[in-house]
Parts: sequence; C-alpha cells; structure tokens
Amino acid sequence: MLLFTDNALSSDEAVEVITHPSTDVSYLSKNLLRSVFSMRLRTWQDGVPIRVFVLPDDAPLHSIFAKKKLNVFPYQLRSAWDRLVYSGTGQAPLVVHSEEEMREKIATTPGSIGYLNENKIDGSVQVVHINE
Amino acid sequence: MNSKKLFTRSLSSIAGLCLALITCPGFADEHSGVQILKQLQVHGFLSQGYIKTTGNNFSGHSNNSGSLDFREIGLTASLRPLPGLQLAGQLLHRRAGKGSEGGIHIDFGFLDYNFINTPTIELGIRLGRMKNPFGFYNDTRDVPFTRPSVLLPQSIYFDRTRNLALASDGAQLYGESRTNWGNITVQLEAAFPQVDDKDTEVSVFGHTTPVSGDLKSRPSYIGRILYELPDGRLRLAISSAQLNVGYNPGQNDIFESGSFRFSPLILSAQYNAEHWSITSEYALRYSRRHGFGNPRLDQSVTGESLYLQGIYRFLPGWEAVLRYDILFANRKDRSGKKFAATSGHPAHGQYARDFTAGLRWNITPSIMLSTEYHRVNGTAWLSPLDNPDISSTEKNWNLFAAQISYRF
Repeated sequence: MLLFTDNALSSDEAVEVITHPSTDVSYLSKNLLRSVFSMRLRTWQDGVPIRVFVLPDDAPLHSIFAKKKLNVFPYQLRSAWDRLVYSGTGQAPLVVHSEEEMREKIATTPGSIGYLNENKIDGSVQVVHINE
Repeated sequence: MNSKKLFTRSLSSIAGLCLALITCPGFADEHSGVQILKQLQVHGFLSQGYIKTTGNNFSGHSNNSGSLDFREIGLTASLRPLPGLQLAGQLLHRRAGKGSEGGIHIDFGFLDYNFINTPTIELGIRLGRMKNPFGFYNDTRDVPFTRPSVLLPQSIYFDRTRNLALASDGAQLYGESRTNWGNITVQLEAAFPQVDDKDTEVSVFGHTTPVSGDLKSRPSYIGRILYELPDGRLRLAISSAQLNVGYNPGQNDIFESGSFRFSPLILSAQYNAEHWSITSEYALRYSRRHGFGNPRLDQSVTGESLYLQGIYRFLPGWEAVLRYDILFANRKDRSGKKFAATSGHPAHGQYARDFTAGLRWNITPSIMLSTEYHRVNGTAWLSPLDNPDISSTEKNWNLFAAQISYRF
C-alpha cells in the first residue's frame, strides 16, 4: 500500500533532503529541519557549520520541498530570511539555479544540506530521513 | 554624552580586535582565510517610488504634481568568521521629503556573539547599532521587499518622526527557545537612541522652528517577546520601550533644559495561510515632556494606533493588500476638538483614518513592482516638515504610491 501511494505521486513531488556524505546524520526531526532551513541553527552537533542550499523562490521543487518537508509556505521562508539578513541578525541560504548545481554543491561542501528530486539523487550525496 | 562616547569607543575597540583576529596571518592560515571569506555575504536593494497626493504633501512636493522624491538604497554585509560570531552592517540612502534628505547613514552595524545555539535553545549578545525591535516591521522597515505595501501602516511605523524609534547604539541580550509547541524569541536592549536630526526635534517640540539648544541621547530600554508556532502560521509579539532624550538649551534660548520620554507598547498578531495572511497591531504611545520652562510643552499624552491588514496571494507572484489604519494623537481627545479649542490648529491634525488598497507583483524573485491607493481622513501622520502651514492642510485627502524595487 505504501509503495502504491509513493508511485501514485508524480515524480516531481518525490523530494528528498540531502547532505554532504560526511555529515553524521541519518534522520532529522521536522522541527530541527525547520530550524536549519529558517537559518536559526548554525552548526551540526559535531560543531561543523551548517551550509544551507536552496533553489530560487519560484522553483517548483522549492515550493514542494517547503510544503512537504517543512510544512511551511515559500513566502514564509523568504520573510524569515529577509528579516535576518536586513536586520543583520542572521544570514541567508545560498541559492543554486539548477538541481545539477544543487547536487554538485552538496557533494563538495562539508556541512551542506539541501534537497533534490528523488530521481536526481546519486551516491555523491547522503539522503536524510525526516521524522514527524 | 561622555558615557556614550566612552561606550562607542569601547565598542569600536571590540570590533577592531575581532577584525584583527580574523585578518591576523598568525591566527588564520591561508585555508581558513578562504573559509572565512566564504562566510561573507553581501546583499542590497534599490528602489524608486512615485507619490501623488491631493490636498497635502507626503514625501516631498507630492500634492497634485506628484513626487519622485522617494528613493531607498541599501547595502548589507555580514561576516561569520566563527559559527558563533557574526559582524553585520547596513548602509542606507533614503530620500523621502524634508525628513530624509538623502546622504548615507549607518543603518545598523554590530557584533553578534552566540554563547549557546543548540536545537532547543539559543542565547547571545549584540553590541553596536541595532534596529529597534518594535512590532513586526521596524527591524527591516526601509527594505521594500519586507513591507506588505509601499508605505507601512503610518499609525505605528510613522515616517513623520521616524528617527527616534529607528535604531539605537548599545547592547542587546537575546534568546530563543525552540520546542514542539513553538518558538519564543526574546530581545532586551539598553541603548542610546539617535536624536541628532530635524525630525526628532519635531517629535520633541511639536513644531518645525529650529531650536538653538541640543538634544541629548539618554540611556533607553527596549524589549520584544515574539512567539510563533513551529510552522509560523501564528505569530504573536509584545514590544515595549522607554526612549529618553534630554535638552540642553543654547545661549539666549527661549527654552530651559528639559527631557522627553517616549514609551510605546505594541501588541502584534499575524496568521499566515497559503493564499492569505491577516496582520493586526495595536499600540499605546505614551510620551512625556518635562521642564523646558514652557507649560505648553510640560505635559504628557497617550496616543493610540491600530491597523488590520489582509493580504491575498491570488496568483503566483501576485498579492493584493487591504488595510484599515487608525491613529489618535491623544486617546482622551480622539476627535481633536479639545486640542483645536486650546491651540487654534485644526482638529483633524489629531487623528488619521487611512483606508489602503494595493497590488504587488513579484516579477522575479529580485524585481518587484507595487502600487497602492490611500483614502485618508485626518492628517495626524503628515510630516510638518513637508506641510509647514498646518492650518492649510486638507482633512480628507488621497494618496497614490507606486514603487519599483530590485534586490540582490
């Protein structure tokens, strides 16, 4: 049944959270993931700085990721980042312009985290499972 | 003043020391130097507005002919040499009528040290010039992309006398608790407000005649508590402050020494759904003048502000905004009649009811076009600098605004 549901989703919607292969995490809670993508949490547990990568605000995969994995809307993320950047209290995530660039950055940047369509994922990055 | 100078000096020493540590070749080898540069972020924005009004002036000579005298340009940089240490600054150029005549100002510039940052708790300190944490919008009020409309609700974020409440120089303790029930963020600050400009003189003396003495920034206190659900659907905030300003008379001054205190209390609430958001903020604004050897000034007053705003995202990239915004200069004289009877000035200068309808188009994530129409009853948030003859202002007036903005 679970398999069937997964297949019933269009391939566009099968988004997965990915990290640099050296990052010591195999699962994250939804709240922790939100802290990471809202740029509040700055380091992994081992002290390595977190590097957040995202697609542009209007990319369909960005919207799917925000809604499905974070349970927030893309405009909420944008407002949160703008509040941090333009008040000086935080930094913005790094924007990549394609899924290929996303995979390459995540594969080569220690501490990185991002997301990809399931069918674009290969062994160069690590998939992280998200708990409710 | 001396204590402020001392404070500013020690602050710049701290910042200098940090920069020295970062750039010192003995401290950082070549590789970590590259790592540090990777942590440098530069952002900016640039916008040009057009404002046309009937009856009164807003942001320059906007009456009838329309005014292009509304421009905002900002450059923001942040550097995070260590995960817990951040340096951030923003330069701002703002033209908007006689209250903001351009030039380049340090909007903020501070050092931020994070003592603790775990998944559940964060604690830190900021030293330098910070934007005052007031309500939902003050921290980023000059960045067009962060505003729901071209002009922020003027009852709370008045551009009329904006500088006193804009930013302060001092120290801020901040903390955040993150749980499954939501996040609570607290900011507490002791600081010196910025008082050396024309519009603060207007807030203190209530008129535009230049005074011969000097306003002095005095120790002030600012705080905000913000609660939001983990998914950010609901956001609630309480902000409060006590901003203190002193006055040292000049030679042959008509005023004696005096003090001015501004204590706003702001309650904020917001609900965010996928296609719409509702925001409301209510403020009580207490101000007290003491001394000055002038009974007209030596008194206190509490003003009141409220707005209700709805945003509807009807197509990808498009937003419509509707807002009703009310300001009373004195909550015990909402009609302004008592004021008119004693001062001879029009009663409509004591209140403003603003109905706004606007449209915003995010052409790309970095280019935005926004436009709006205001129907206003009352002139309480009009700048006396742009409207020097109070008695000739119109009670009912219209404002049209359009703005194009770019950011990177």
